[in-house]
Amino acid sequence: MKNVCWSRLTVWVMLVALLVPLLAACAPTPTPVAPAATPAPPTPVPPTATPARLKVVTITFTQEPDNLNPLYTSMWFALTLRDLYLADGLLTYNDKNEPIPWIAREIPTLENGGISADGKTITYKLRDDVRWSDGTPLTADDYVFTWQMIMSDKNTVQSRDPFDVAVDKVEAQDPHTLVVTFKEPYTPWQAKIFSNVNATNALPKHILEPVFQKDGTLDNADWNRNPTVGVGPFLFKEWESGSHLIFEANPDFWLGRPKLDQIFIRIVPDDAAQVAAIKAGDSDIGVFIAYSDMPDLEKLGTLDLVKQSSGYKESWFFNLSTREDKTRGHPALQDPNVRRAIVMAVDRDKICQDLLYGRTKPAITFWDGTPYANPDIQPIPYDPEGARKLLDEAGWKVGADGIREKDGVKLKLRYATTTREVRRNTQVIVQQMWKEVGIDTELINHSPDIFWNSYGDGGPIATGGYDVAEWSTCPAFPDPDTATWRCKEIPSDENPAGENWQFFCDKELDELFAKQATAVDTKARIQLFYQIAKIISDKVYWVSVWDDPDWWSVSKKLQNVRFSGATPFWNAYEWDKVE
Amino acid sequence: MTRYIIRRLLQAIPLLLLISLILFVLMEEMGDPLATFGGRRVLRSEDRIRLTRQLGLDKPIWVQYVVWLAGNDWMKIDLDGDGLSESYGTRRGVLRGDFGMSFVTRRPVIDMIAERLPNTLLLMLTSEVVILVLSLLIGVTSALKQYSVYDHAVTAFSFIGYSMPIPLLAIGLMYLFAVNFKRWGLPYFPTVGIFDPAVGRTVPQVIWHMVLPVAALSTISIAAYGRYIRASMLEVINQDYIRTARAKGLRERTILYRHALKNAALPLVTLVGLDLPMLLGGAIVTEGIFAWPGMGRLFIDHTVRSDFPVLMGILMMISVAVVIFQIITDITYTWLDPRIHYD
Repeated sequence: MKNVCWSRLTVWVMLVALLVPLLAACAPTPTPVAPAATPAPPTPVPPTATPARLKVVTITFTQEPDNLNPLYTSMWFALTLRDLYLADGLLTYNDKNEPIPWIAREIPTLENGGISADGKTITYKLRDDVRWSDGTPLTADDYVFTWQMIMSDKNTVQSRDPFDVAVDKVEAQDPHTLVVTFKEPYTPWQAKIFSNVNATNALPKHILEPVFQKDGTLDNADWNRNPTVGVGPFLFKEWESGSHLIFEANPDFWLGRPKLDQIFIRIVPDDAAQVAAIKAGDSDIGVFIAYSDMPDLEKLGTLDLVKQSSGYKESWFFNLSTREDKTRGHPALQDPNVRRAIVMAVDRDKICQDLLYGRTKPAITFWDGTPYANPDIQPIPYDPEGARKLLDEAGWKVGADGIREKDGVKLKLRYATTTREVRRNTQVIVQQMWKEVGIDTELINHSPDIFWNSYGDGGPIATGGYDVAEWSTCPAFPDPDTATWRCKEIPSDENPAGENWQFFCDKELDELFAKQATAVDTKARIQLFYQIAKIISDKVYWVSVWDDPDWWSVSKKLQNVRFSGATPFWNAYEWDKVE
Repeated sequence: MTRYIIRRLLQAIPLLLLISLILFVLMEEMGDPLATFGGRRVLRSEDRIRLTRQLGLDKPIWVQYVVWLAGNDWMKIDLDGDGLSESYGTRRGVLRGDFGMSFVTRRPVIDMIAERLPNTLLLMLTSEVVILVLSLLIGVTSALKQYSVYDHAVTAFSFIGYSMPIPLLAIGLMYLFAVNFKRWGLPYFPTVGIFDPAVGRTVPQVIWHMVLPVAALSTISIAAYGRYIRASMLEVINQDYIRTARAKGLRERTILYRHALKNAALPLVTLVGLDLPMLLGGAIVTEGIFAWPGMGRLFIDHTVRSDFPVLMGILMMISVAVVIFQIITDITYTWLDPRIHYD
């Protein structure tokens, strides 16, 4: 009986203890079944009343970065944050997605001697006025150390790209001269060698080398989570898992102290909650805003919607396989004029208008939004009359059922995409438009987890189970290279990971791709991509349904916010906030 | 009683081992942890092969389970991929208190859980207390005033509350009390997070940010529990012993709380006993919407990336809690109903 009394007492004490803070919290709860909770709230301080006003910019992220050491993450959100606290890439990218010198004094070229005549050696001259936030100078040794850490078997780094396949050695000629030697001339060096884009920013050798020597690995280094020593415009202050990260202005930033005092990254995993937070003014910058939320947000008048390409284009791919196996595509697609007619029959601008609120347009080339886009290419117009004419000329005549046919073969296309809603809606609209010109369609949808499986894994697209397929893709952004149309990438049992899921080999195109892959000089390379885009456009190998940029919301209180598609927060030191 | 508790605890050990084995096998089927390692791209095959080896994912599943359970610091592993096992591992295994390393963050699982658990407990225990207090109040009063206007109103609200999908309720509360109240110039609640960065993490700030999530979490359960309590109260107050108590001349308050409610509370104890361990898992939807940094978010973030060391850690923690709370529930029965004995 004694025990019973004791436990009852404990229960009451616990209840009272829990209730005290609680009454304050639950008094104003709007629960419909709460008639008892009538006492007035103890009027907590309104959240806006602050003693000393710091210039804080709140940014909402829908995903939490996993690791702040660039070697251990490939998440976009982690990459984006590195522009704040690390930002020690040799090059960075501006809002035109052009490379600009950053820690390197200038971009190496053939003319300034930065690139050797054989294209295999690149010499970077580093700034000598950049210091880590603890005062230690940033030198070429930090980059060499980073390369060693990437290649060490003791570290479970996310990727060794491109150091394992392309780089022979990295050396510090002197504290401010870094020499990278390649096995073969390597064109994507701008983006991929110690730039702010790739996960190859330099690590602070003076902090991490002792850790590596002690633990035998960097996997568990405290710096991975608390990178308090950095070189960026802002310095890491704290990271509370699941809640927020705080970055404070770096008073000694080499381009001068930033105008803001603090950047507060709040993790808001729910899209609808992010929109509510933006509307309530609890978020100054939001990212990956959905098209359907834009009209409402714009109506508020308190923010701008800003788009920036990170290379992605919603695209159509034609199956051009003539193999006598399951990969075989519809024979009509072999004729470039039929492919052109298929595109002409569709009013892609109307799809953008109806499904994407008119905020985007079909891209014209695969490289739109980068310096590699050929400005002379003309888009294929919407012209159903012209489409009918082209199909008639190609021998595809309208049959009794209104569907075109040739030699007993019906013009019926398998149109495959993922289960995403906007894609399903696009399919339905396109099906109607094709019907108008006598093309029949079978709509196919695969869930995203199997859609992109490789040929070896029996992926439905990679094994040619389509005639027209739609998905969003990009080149090796910001580098323009892509494996999509290379002859050697055609998947087969011998090459199960091949990326050319259109199963065609255009010798002229393949030679141009091979040529650009060794064109270390950027100007020559841009010209090669102009030619590549022309062939792709003339022969209608690839068509964009719409350009697929990243959408940001930016409070009108902010100034000078200019995103890059490759290194979004590249100019955070210039951002300002005016109340 | 002590012997009973010891016996129950001993019985739990093989049970937990079996649970861990089943969960571990299911995890393997769940997905590929390396699938998201490429970010927006596909991981290169060179990196995939290397990481599979370095993270021990190339081993047969029973070896992986043994490593998870007992560690690998007693066996040699191959780090550089030359086919020779040259160095000892560093894991100590769950049995020696090492819950492993997250594939995603490369941090100890135990640290990641320890960071989130207090936030979740703060939110969930507060909600649970709100639920218990309000549902008892509503259940008892509406049973006493059966078929009154008040009872009918409570019934109607309970059905509305109970049939409310929690995402709708949460977003609805947020729009009404945070977005629109602010626009209308009324005192408003914050939308997301646990404090305002301009003010800092203070106790009033956290309480202020807790109001909407607690409201969203408790509404549905208050409606459900209120119905249970009302039903079991109605059953009890018509029993003979209540009439006897009245005939003895006991005060109505004593009859109600000592005799009626104590007996009516048995089904509630069962419900709460099942609920409490689940509180540790957090609230996946509500935490997501209100950006509350709790266990539910940890679970869902790492499910998406098939990070099974973290998922195993969370699920095993909940399994242990279920076992313990079942024992506590059984003991509570003996206090509520002296007829129940275990010895």
